[in-house]
Formats: sequence, structure tokens, C-alpha cells
Amino acid sequence: MKIRVVFLLVMVLLLSAAVVNAAEDKYEFKNAEQAQTFKELTLELRCPKCQNQNIADSDAVVAKDLRDKVLTLVHEGNSKQEVIDYMIDRYGYFVHYQPPVTPATIILWVLPVIIVVLGFGFIVFRQKKAAKKQSWSAEDDKRLEQLIAQYQRKERHQ
Amino acid sequence: MNRKILGFLPFLIFVLLCVFLYQGLFGNPRELQTGRLGQTMPSFNLPDLMDENKRWTEKDLLGEVYLMNVWGTWCPTCIAELGYLTKLREQGVKIVGLYYDQAYDPDFGDYFDINALREEVDTMLGRAGNPYQFNILDLERSLALDLGVSGAPETFLVDKKGTILLHHTGDINQRVWRSKFLPALEELQR
Repeated sequence: MKIRVVFLLVMVLLLSAAVVNAAEDKYEFKNAEQAQTFKELTLELRCPKCQNQNIADSDAVVAKDLRDKVLTLVHEGNSKQEVIDYMIDRYGYFVHYQPPVTPATIILWVLPVIIVVLGFGFIVFRQKKAAKKQSWSAEDDKRLEQLIAQYQRKERHQ
Repeated sequence: MNRKILGFLPFLIFVLLCVFLYQGLFGNPRELQTGRLGQTMPSFNLPDLMDENKRWTEKDLLGEVYLMNVWGTWCPTCIAELGYLTKLREQGVKIVGLYYDQAYDPDFGDYFDINALREEVDTMLGRAGNPYQFNILDLERSLALDLGVSGAPETFLVDKKGTILLHHTGDINQRVWRSKFLPALEELQR
């Protein structure tokens, strides 16, 4: 009888501990997909107050507000892109770590490619030029003879 | 000749890089936060700071050009600009306050004393000058989020139809007013 009461008490205690734990777990999701979307979004959205932190990382008030908003939007079943658009609508492209491809930003993608192409072009060009110079002809022989003769004459005169 | 130009190339690149980085020193990276520019004021329904029975919506603000100034008593820069804003009000500029309470967090069941806040605001405005026609209390910062506000002070210039023309981050002083707000207002009058 006594053991039964103790057992019951322990069970109740364990259960209440589980309830407390659940209350502390701040973010709950319907499915793993939503949890994943939320995680990705908080890593990808930039805190508008503190430029070099994402909203998952920042303790700023606005970052917390954005996290809460992202959570609500994800709960409502919005897709990742819909949440990003919602934030860009309010905070501008600044809020997303991936800039959009526009005429103004295309240089970010094109410039590195141009630099690499130009660099390789330059190397190839120089090698070809050097290879050309290394070819030796009868004319070069003649010119060499001439130069040697010229300097020998000079030395004799001195 | 060709060689000479090639020799100058690294120097040229260096100079260009210097120019690029130098002008970066004076750029304001937050200028990019212009999500709401050109759009109409988002809809809201929020209480007056001084009277919870009075509620404001975006429709109450139509018909007049106004500044919406995001501020809070916790923010020293906001207090500092009160004087200049009051001068603007005396010149006939309509300024609406959006009270941004940084500390309030409903998730933590924060205790919030509206009467203490009202008293604090009254004292502050009595001391530094009151530029506001009225103040809207955005306790949960919902309108602030819809406007793309990241902190305080921030100021919006809104026209008669409710279109947001400017979003300024930081304080308003004579220099900012003359270089940024006046040209926009003159544009409106034309």
C-alpha cells in the first residue's frame, strides 16, 4: 500500500517536471519541416540594428521581434520565400544576407569571373610571348656574331 | 611604352581601391533600409499614449503632410532631438509620435505601468519641449515592424495620401532637415 503511494507520488513529480520542461521550450512546431524552415530563416535574415549578426544570433530588441514574427509566419504555414519577401517588404534587401541579382548588383557575380578570366588570359599571353622569343634563327646567329665582333674591337682599342 | 602602362597598373588599381574604400567611410549602410519607401502607410489600430480609450488608425492621418517620429524616453538621442523638433512644430510642421517601448516583452509577461510611463513622458516633454500633436503607443512594436523600424529615433515623412516619402534613421537636426527633408517638402509643394 505504502509503496504504491510513493510510486504514485514519484510519477506525479516526474510528469510535472516534464510539463515545466515543455513550457521552457520556447519554439514548438507542428512538424520537423517547419522547425527546419524557422532555423534556416533565423540564420539567413540579418538583424537590421547590428549589421554583422543574423537574427538568431542577436540580442537586439528588433532581432527578437523579427524572430517572433518569423515564428508566427512559419506557424501560419508560410513558405520560406514568403517569409523572406515579407521581411524585405518592410526592411529592404538589407535584411536578407543573399542579395538579389539586379543591374546594380550583377557586378558582384560578374567581377570575380572577369578577374579570373583576365588573369588566365594574361598568363597565357605572357607564355606565348616568351615562347616566341626563345626561338633561334640563323639571323639571330648573325646578329650575335656581329655583337661579339663589335665588343672585341672595342676592347682592343682600349 | 606598353611596359610603362603595365607598370602603372598596380598603382592604378591601388588608387581606385583607395577611392572606393574612402567613400565607403562616409556612406551610411542603413540607408539601404528603405523597404517601405513609396508605399502607403501600413494599416494599424493603436491606442493613444495618454488615453487608452482613444484609438488611432492610418485613416486618421490622411489629408495632411506629417512626420512620424519613432521615439522613447529610454533613448537619449530622441530626447536630444526634442528641442529641434519642437522648433519645427512652431514653424507649422505636423509631427506625430510613435512611442516605441524597448523594454516591453509580452512573452515574459512583463509588468507594464502605463501611468508611470505617462508621467515620465509628461515630465520629459515639459522639460525638453513637446513637438507632438499626439503620441501613438505601439507597445508590442507591431506598427514599428510593419514600417521597418530597427530602433529609435527614426522619422518618416508621409504625404497627404499616406505615401511614405522618407525614412530617416538617426536624429533630426538642422543639417539633416535642410539636406533631406526640406527638398522633399519643396518637391511636394510643386
